[in-house]
Order: sequence, then structure tokens, then C-alpha cells
Amino acid sequence: MSAVLLQPVPPSTRQLILNGVFAENPVFRLALSLCPAVAVTTTVLNGLILGIAVLLVQVLSSVTVALARGLIHPRVRIVVYTIIIAVWVSVMDMALSAFVPALYAQVGLYVKLIVAFAIIISRLEMFASKYPLVPSFWDGFGMGLGFLLALVVIGALRELLGNGSLAGVRLTAGKPLLFFALPAGGFFSIAFLMAFFNWVERRMARGRRKPAAGGTHA
Amino acid sequence: MKSRDEVLRITASVTLACAAGAAILGATYVGTERYRQAAQLAAERGAIVELLNLGAGAEVTEVRQWLDPGLPGRPGTSAVRYELRPLGDATAPARTLAFSLDGAPVPVAAAPEQGPRPALEPLGRLFVARVRDSVAGFVVEGLARGYKNRIRFLIGITPGFEIAGVRVVEHEEDPGLGAEVATHLFESQFLGRTADQVAGLGVTRDPMPEDWHAALLRLERTPAPEWRAREHALLERERARPIYAVTGATISSRALTDGVRATVDHFRRRWSLIAPQFERGGGS
Amino acid sequence: MRDPRSRSARPRIAPAVRRAPFARPARWLAVALLLALAPALARAAGEPPLIRSTRIEKPGRIVLVLSRPLPRTDPANFRFTEAAAPDLPIAVREVHVTPLGERVTLVVGQGLDPAGHYRLEVAEPPLRLDLKPSPWALLFTVILSSALINNFVFTRYLGLCIFFGVSRKRETALGMGATFAFVMVTTGMLSWLLFEFVLKPLQLRFLQVLVFIGVVAFLVQMLDTVLKKTQSALHEKFGIYLVLITTNCIILAVPLLNAAADSGPLESFALAMGSGAGFALALFLMSCARERVELARVPPSLQGLPIAFALAGLVALAFMGFSGLSLFR
Repeated sequence: MSAVLLQPVPPSTRQLILNGVFAENPVFRLALSLCPAVAVTTTVLNGLILGIAVLLVQVLSSVTVALARGLIHPRVRIVVYTIIIAVWVSVMDMALSAFVPALYAQVGLYVKLIVAFAIIISRLEMFASKYPLVPSFWDGFGMGLGFLLALVVIGALRELLGNGSLAGVRLTAGKPLLFFALPAGGFFSIAFLMAFFNWVERRMARGRRKPAAGGTHA
Repeated sequence: MKSRDEVLRITASVTLACAAGAAILGATYVGTERYRQAAQLAAERGAIVELLNLGAGAEVTEVRQWLDPGLPGRPGTSAVRYELRPLGDATAPARTLAFSLDGAPVPVAAAPEQGPRPALEPLGRLFVARVRDSVAGFVVEGLARGYKNRIRFLIGITPGFEIAGVRVVEHEEDPGLGAEVATHLFESQFLGRTADQVAGLGVTRDPMPEDWHAALLRLERTPAPEWRAREHALLERERARPIYAVTGATISSRALTDGVRATVDHFRRRWSLIAPQFERGGGS
Repeated sequence: MRDPRSRSARPRIAPAVRRAPFARPARWLAVALLLALAPALARAAGEPPLIRSTRIEKPGRIVLVLSRPLPRTDPANFRFTEAAAPDLPIAVREVHVTPLGERVTLVVGQGLDPAGHYRLEVAEPPLRLDLKPSPWALLFTVILSSALINNFVFTRYLGLCIFFGVSRKRETALGMGATFAFVMVTTGMLSWLLFEFVLKPLQLRFLQVLVFIGVVAFLVQMLDTVLKKTQSALHEKFGIYLVLITTNCIILAVPLLNAAADSGPLESFALAMGSGAGFALALFLMSCARERVELARVPPSLQGLPIAFALAGLVALAFMGFSGLSLFR
């Protein structure tokens, strides 16, 4: 992260997207904005709709901040960022309630709460306020995509295990593990997925470090 | 001097941001509100058409029920008002009927006597569908206090006062448990029961018989009239029995059943009051 | 104070002096209590009312406790309705009267909800009674429900970032819980005022997100400044949490939920209060469990957040047992 900030030249588009999806995945790696990750992920579609909303809010806010960089007084930048996010969140809220009312009914509260997502404001502060339009766009896109994918993965896991269906299409006759659809199941799904990510990372780190000196990954 | 300049600039920048934000939001609101209302209306009409198995060409009248608390300190002046309007046409002039609490018709435009009158309290909505000038069925909106929060549902009722279907439209029950009352499997248990049977309807924790369960699952793939003809014997047997509760969610099941019972009862009594007036007024 | 002799010479005064800062809140509390009880006291002083108390019993019975017998006790003397359907009387089947007439039981033909709102009209003497749970019971129900049944953390999954961030130590968890509860109540009430008297009349509901987050930011900032200037000791302890609060979904959720449900002032207050208490409880429980886990052997991949999530899942499972909890069932 700090390496990114010190570079005068913005990182490449590919790097930015991969960063958001894997290296700094907001849910699994940074453990930010977890609330919706548990709350709305009982089905794939719910995860998808909220993921799209977050992606759009992140991209729109990043672009707005990148464009208005010169105009924002540094003393009140956090306040202005918050206003920008709140505006785009409200726009998204109204648009979703108008065009996909059935899905919106299930995720409504959490769409409004996007405004309090630490991940969005931290990207504005760390990236969009320092870089021009195009890299800011891709950074926002990468982060939003990482969030969206995380929600869809958790949603798919929970819907498949808890309800025996995927995106509303029934795959098994009964309900294999109802537990995963229950509130508590969301916490456990995330625990297992996070542990899996950690495990993969440890395996990869060990593989990489074998030739060099040993030592555990911090 | 410099600090005052700074304060001014900060104030200006925040004010500008707020104003721009509010302007964007206002524009979006104006732009999307129409679509939101249209979508809501389409969903409502879709639910009505599906519950009552209506074809095209059915005209639906929305009846909003209000309690007029009457003049303060004079309980005798309170009344129930019924506002009749074609569904989806909020600008159309409403026909209003009013009845005193004892069921006697009262003039609607009672001249406002002294003092301000308290606001009307909403008493729920119902929809009357008509095909070629005869009533094709009713849909009544009801509320029940569920396991966690309120459950909002629609009940389709045929002109012969039989349940044509129940649809839960809003609930916050636990997914996998109480939320199962919002599935076809549970909702269609009400199908085909008469209003008299519903008045004594209860809930049992017994497991649902296999053949009935299989028949209800078949209903999801078959049109209701055809299904009713084919499963006649089974339907006849089950109509006399209570509703089978969702496993692990007896309270939610009971809440919805109680809600349906009360709503059907209220509707039947109110309809007997307004039906003659409704017929006389025609489709206005 | 440090001199042992002076302490032994005035053993009773020293604690009193030390307790002085708490005397003022205690006095305020007493005044508030007195105000709350005033109507009841005033009623007790006057003539005893005809109907002392009413109660709804589960399978369709209404019990009236009277101060003197009713002149007429036939079923036709009573008209009983739901408050939400005053035009549809519920038939009173039987009336049972105790020999002295001080207790009348009405039996109706259908099940009644003890938490419901009903209306009883008596023809002779003309009387109208509203039968509903007392506002205190309602307040308590909402608090109970938002703290336990709909706990923000375990069933609505709000405030998880903060929840996992500060639940590592019991002490910080308690400080954080208290600060959150306080900020939730103040922002909840201020937002309610703004929503009810500005946004709703002007039809500006679509600005609610912008306005509510503004309220939270403003209040937190103000609280921070006021605390720093007046109670620097308190600020040193809680100031650090205040900074974390500004953009937090759990604070924002209270006004949003209130706005969505169109709640009244009492319900809004109860929701804010209950959610705050629920969050503090969740933080406390979690910190206790996590302090234990520190000592346990956890597989390396599960260390840190994953095991915390699994723990939260277990507590959430336990909290499921609260749903359906009600004062009236």
C-alpha cells in the first residue's frame, strides 16, 4: 500500500484491478465493510445487487473526487467526501427502488448504509484525491469489483448450502444445511472463507520463501 | 485576516458541495419517482391478476378505508369512509361512501362544524376486480404481527367468498424458518377454503401428509383451476383440516393464519355494508 | 486526605465529599421520576374512578376491576371492538360478575391479543375505555426487542467493522459500548426531530441519507469539542472512540430504521436506547470470549479475524433463542 502511494506514476490498470480483487480484497483481506457481507448474502442475487450498487458508488465517488481535486479545501476534505458519497448513495438508492423494486425490498436498508462503508471513503482519501481521473476510475472499479465478487461468492456458498439453490434455481430437493441460511451461518461462512484465503496465502508464501531464509509471514 | 479568509473559503466550499449534492438528488428524485410508482403499481396489479386468475380486460377498483375520528369529544360523530378509485389513477375523482360505526350510511360531505377535525386514520385497502360489469373477485390487504416484525399480505377472495390465494408481500422473518410462510407451499394451503371455514381456522403442528405436500408442489407448475379440478378429492379432505405449521416456525405460521382469519372476517362484514352502494354506483 | 489521622477523625464525611459529583445526577433522576409519576399520584388523590383496571386474558376474556358495581351487566350493555376496526364489534358472549360486583369478566367469541389495542364502550353508565398495553410496557418491549431479538450485531449485522475492531479487550469494549449508546440516543433523537418537522413536511424524504450523516458528523464533532473543553478526563478516556464513530453504519441505522417505520418519539427513543444497549452487550460478550481465545490454541489459518467470526456466529446462534420473546405471549 505505502509503495503505491510513493510512486509518482500511477500503477497500471491491470495492477489496480488485481489489487482490488485479490491483494486488498475489501472483505476477505482488509476486513472492511463486513456488515453487508453477512447481512444480504443469503442468496446470490442479493449479493449481486448490493455489489453492483457498491461498485457504482465507488466508481462515481472516485471519479467525482478525482475531478474536483483542486476545488476541495484540504481542511474539510473528509466532510466533502462524505457528502459526495451520500449523494451517490442516495442516487443509487432511488434508482434501485425505481427499477428493481423486488430485489430492493430485501437489501434496501443496506443500500442506504453504503454511505458508512469505510472502504469507499478510504479509497477516496488514499487514492482518488492524489491521482488523476483514469487511474482513479480503475482503482474504484477494482475495489468495487473485489467487493462484488466477495459478496457473490459468499452468497453462492450460503444459498447453495442453506437453500439448495443457486440464483433462485433449485439444484437439490431439500435443504442440505439450513444452518448456512440462518443469521449465524453468515458469520461462519465468512470465517471459513477468510481462513481459506489465509491458508492459500500461507501456502503461497511458504512456496515462495523456501529457497530464501525461513520465517513466518506476519 | 488570513484566517477569516480561510473560514470563508471553507464555508463556501462546503456550502457549494451541499447545494450541488441537493440539486443532483432533487433531479434524481424527480426523474425516478415516476418509475418507482409505476413499478409499485405494476407489482400490485400483477399480484391481483395472479391471485384472482384474471384475464386481460379486468378493471380493478381500489377501495381505501379510513376511520374518521369525528368531532373531538363526540364519539357518535366518528365514521368509516370508503374511497373508491380506479386502480393506478390517483388523480381520478374518488367516490366516497361513509358509514357510522353502527353501520348506518351517513352523508359524506358533512359540513365541518366548529374547530379543526382530527386527521383520518387508515384502516387498510381492498381491491375489487370486475369483468364485464360483474364482480370477479376481491383482493384484501392485511397485516399480522409476526415472529419478528409485521407481516403484510394480500388475500384473493372469489365472489362466492372462497379464498383464491394468499400472498405474503412483506415480512422480516428468519430465512429458512419463519420466512417459509412466504412460500407457495405454505400460502397455497389456504386455497379453496370458504370464508366460513376460515373463520374457525387453526394451526396444527402435525406433519403435512405426503400426498397433500406432493399436490401442493404440483400446484407450482399447474394453473390453479386445472389443479383444483384434478386434486378435488384431496382438496375436499384438507379443507376441513387446520393449516400445517412450518416446521420450527409455529408462531409465524399462527400469526399469518390469525391475520388471514381476521382480515377475511373484517372484509366480509364491511363488504356486506358497501356492496349495495358499490353496485349502484357502477364502475365510476 | 493522605494523612491517616484526618481520615480516621472524619470517617463519614470523606466518602460523602467524594460522592459529591454524583449527587447532582441523582437529584435530577429523582425529579424526573417524580414528574413521571405525577399523573398517577394526582389520580390517586381524587375520587376513585369507576373502573380501576382492565386486563386482557389469553383465550378471549376481558377482566374489569371496579370500585363499585355496574348498574347493568347484560352482554348488550357492552360494545367491544378492535381499535383498528371500531366499526366491527366483537360479540360479547357472556358476562360473569363476582358476588360483590367489583370484578366483571367479559367472554368474547374469539381469541384476543394481550398486546393488542382494543376499545370497550359501556352503554350504562356511558363510558369509553381504551384497552392497550401501557406506554411503559411498549417502551420496554421495543428496548427489549431491539437489544436482544433484533440485536444490531447478531441479527442485523450492523457495525461489524467496529465490532471486530474493538472487541479484543474487555475494557475498551465497555468504553466503546457506552460511548456508542450515548451517541446513538442523541443522534437518533435529533434526526427524528429533523425528519419529523423538516424533511417530512417539506417532502424531502429523499435527502434523508445526506441529512442523517450530517447530523451524526455534526453531533460527534460537537461532543468531541465540548468534552475536550469541559471534561478533559472523560475526553481522554472516550475521545478516541468518538473519532471512530462518525462514519459508522450502526449509528446511521437508527435514524434510517426510524424513518422507514415512521416511528413516534417514544419508539424512536426506545429503538436508539435498545440498540445502543444491545451493541454494548454484544461488545462485552464478544470481548469476554475473545480474551479467552487468546489463550487457546487456534489453527494458524483461523487465527485473528476468522476465529472471531466463528465466535460471533456462535453468539448469534445463541441470540436466535431470544426471537419470539415477548412480554405479552
